[in-house]
Amino acid sequence: MSVICEMAAPFVANSAVEGSLVARPFRGHAEACLKCQARHAAMTRTARELAAMSKETLVGPLDLEWRVMSALEGDLAVARSWRTPIAVTAAIVSMTAAVLIWRLRPRTP
Amino acid sequence: MAQVEPDKERELIARAKAGDRAAFGALVREHGNEVYTLARRLVGDPHLAADVAQETLIRAWRALPNFRGDAALSTWLHRITVNTAWTQRKRARRHSGPPLDDFLEVAAPMGADHPETAGETLELRGRLRQALDSLPEAQRQVVVLKDVYDWSHAEIAEAMGISVSAAKVRLHRARARLVRYLEASA
Repeated sequence: MSVICEMAAPFVANSAVEGSLVARPFRGHAEACLKCQARHAAMTRTARELAAMSKETLVGPLDLEWRVMSALEGDLAVARSWRTPIAVTAAIVSMTAAVLIWRLRPRTP
Repeated sequence: MAQVEPDKERELIARAKAGDRAAFGALVREHGNEVYTLARRLVGDPHLAADVAQETLIRAWRALPNFRGDAALSTWLHRITVNTAWTQRKRARRHSGPPLDDFLEVAAPMGADHPETAGETLELRGRLRQALDSLPEAQRQVVVLKDVYDWSHAEIAEAMGISVSAAKVRLHRARARLVRYLEASA
């Protein structure tokens, strides 16, 4: 590959992937150079394969659903574990306040 | 790919938004592999991809009340996957070195039903996966989102928190690397 082929490589690749003309500074060279044309053809095929990969689904971990749902259970448990002490503390504070108010109430002799 | 019918999916989303975890479980079953696939392509390492998929789906559950349905659920999940992959990768880099194992799952390529070209396609697909994995993280993510999932430059820039021109430059460099890698491995 000549230096100009190497400089043209990304533009040839872009042209192949996007189905557009090679960018102007390298268009003349790419149209005349057999190596760049071969590279264009190879990259066109690669682009097709890349696009086809979007239709391909890999198999994820079998326990993915279990992991997610367990984590959500954990979320709820955390929410519950926070809610309970807050409720108990609020009940104790209000009871203490009620007792104090009752004890400190002004009494008539 | 998700197989559930659009009406059924809308119903599952509505129930999940109302807090029905069984409905969300059904959505996880439908979209889990799809989310994992994108995560795997973005981060390369299968174990990290599993963590990304899990975290993505947990984030999705938490954000579900904000899902307006303007885009398809899979598109919305893809966006969360990209963000999650980005943060998980940074976290993983802080806590450990590069992954030691990086096996490639074998999935049936499109066109595998044509025996005369199936072998060639499989071979190219294998080299392509390795080429993608050889790219630096940021470049791989741009190629995957643009050339595999057909996102626009603007969508990529927004998801990755970079400018549109930076996304274009990364793509340009990544494609040049891909060409070189594929030629060297041919």
